[in-house]
Amino acid sequence: MIPSWVLDVFAAIMLVVAAVSAARLVAARSWRRGGRSAALADIDVAHLLMGIAMAGTLVAALRTWPDGAWEVVFGVLTAWFGYRVARDARISGVRALAGGHCAPHLVHAGAMLYMFAAVSAPAAHESGGMGGMSGGAGGMRTLELPFLALLFALVLVGYCIWDLDQVSGPGTSGHYSLAVARAAPPGPVLAAVGARAAGAAAAGASGASAGLVSVAASGLADAIVAAPPVAEPAGIAQVPPASGPADGTGVLAPWVATACRIAMGVTMAFMLVIMI
Amino acid sequence: MSEISAGGVRPAWRSTPGTGAETRRAAPDVRRLLQLALAGLWLLDGVLQYQAFMFSKGFSDMLADSASGNPGVVARPISWDATLVGHHLAALNASFATIQLLLGIGIAWRPTVRVALAASVAWSLGVWWFGEGLGLVLTGNVSPVSGAPGAVILYALLAVLLWPSDRGSPDGPSPFAAARAVGAPVARVVWLVLWLSLAYFALLPANRAPQALHDMIAGMTDGEPGWLAALDRGAAALVAHQGLAASVVLAIALVVVAVGVYLPAPVARGSLVLAVVVAAVFWVFGQAFGEIMTGGATDLNSAPLLALLALAYWPAPAPSQANEGTATS
Repeated sequence: MIPSWVLDVFAAIMLVVAAVSAARLVAARSWRRGGRSAALADIDVAHLLMGIAMAGTLVAALRTWPDGAWEVVFGVLTAWFGYRVARDARISGVRALAGGHCAPHLVHAGAMLYMFAAVSAPAAHESGGMGGMSGGAGGMRTLELPFLALLFALVLVGYCIWDLDQVSGPGTSGHYSLAVARAAPPGPVLAAVGARAAGAAAAGASGASAGLVSVAASGLADAIVAAPPVAEPAGIAQVPPASGPADGTGVLAPWVATACRIAMGVTMAFMLVIMI
Repeated sequence: MSEISAGGVRPAWRSTPGTGAETRRAAPDVRRLLQLALAGLWLLDGVLQYQAFMFSKGFSDMLADSASGNPGVVARPISWDATLVGHHLAALNASFATIQLLLGIGIAWRPTVRVALAASVAWSLGVWWFGEGLGLVLTGNVSPVSGAPGAVILYALLAVLLWPSDRGSPDGPSPFAAARAVGAPVARVVWLVLWLSLAYFALLPANRAPQALHDMIAGMTDGEPGWLAALDRGAAALVAHQGLAASVVLAIALVVVAVGVYLPAPVARGSLVLAVVVAAVFWVFGQAFGEIMTGGATDLNSAPLLALLALAYWPAPAPSQANEGTATS
């Protein structure tokens, strides 16, 4: 049996993720006004809900809602991100499936839905649900269709690794601009960013100068890439240095959301594997 | 530094086609992608190490079992280690799992890639001895089908071959990713020795016995899902009483793979495809996906590592074919 303190540690990490996601929602509330709230908030809402659900799954004492309610929640989230991915796919083709902004969130939501839907029924009855993976007298919870659990775990690990690579890179990808925010040169530099991101940043970042695209303003990188598509052609944008909380520093920094996603991906893979 | 340059641009497959902007974007660096695959395997190993079985006496017993058949000088430290782990199971196993998680994260996190790769070599060598009994290669009862010479030593080999330096080819671009750190001659010798050793293991008397391969594959079915157990039983039936023939055919295939990297690029590619196919057959029928669905696997076994190695030896496009970004990495 897995020692309870191991599960406690993972649950604590998930609670931190939930708290950080809640803080991001609060901190970005004003920034999100202007008709794009759904496009910007869904990631943090998903992280918040997943963090709470996973903590409750790992430690029975942290259990909140019944499994059925979580199934509905993650069913809705899966449908929502599925819609977002499909919408991206119409614009970007199959690349949206492989590397699009919403694909990881779709996988996360799908994995959560699978976890709650496929937990073996007898075990669930024994301990009144999925809460508490160490299982107590009921033993370890197991999942039906274990090959699917393995598949989800592999994909989640893949996204974690990719996120780590991207977030630690020089940061011109536009998706994750940690390095840009931290190490941008004092003067304007060239960076290739899509006009789609550029349009969103220009519209949403108060600190962006006219004609410039603030990649630091794309500090809410998750949000920016997820923003409603505008003109598709990509271009070369000038990137001023990062500044100001509205530009995505502090809790709104892009690496915070990515770190949350990495932590959740690892924890989710852990949960799937130990429930096989 | 290549690992930096590789990430310094948006991956080409994320660019918007037909805009001209992609001309500034490099193709992904193959070596970096392989490093990321290695990181993913370490991360998955870390997760697997957290399974309930690893916190049970079964794990320390499994460690102790790897001592059997090994010479005393090898076996005694294994037995000592297994006893130690048995006494401090929770703390040590949690440490093992966390170390492997950190290795995966460290390799994927660009600033720490060198430290993590170096640490992974040290960790792999330790685990190869104390956890896998040197892959049982000294026992004479080991088969490449079931994972010889041990998955973890292949992690170390990959870490060396994927080391982020470019001192291997002073005369121009390296012919393949694995050559960049150590040079093409050394990399080819490593490949040759590895696959010839696999061919040798395939021909060991224990593997030539009429029912050897059958029994090995049939023995993988315990605890597996029904569909996988059925698959393995079918494969076992195919090689029943065919131990010698199967060993010879397998050895020939492994020798072809071994020498393939010395042949012209088109032939080399063919041999590498054969290597991947052989690895896939090992993984499905001889290793049951690393027995990952039994709850007792510590890794995915050797086959994915062999396939990854094969990709590291895939001939690079000729300089005229390489795009600008690739050349800069």
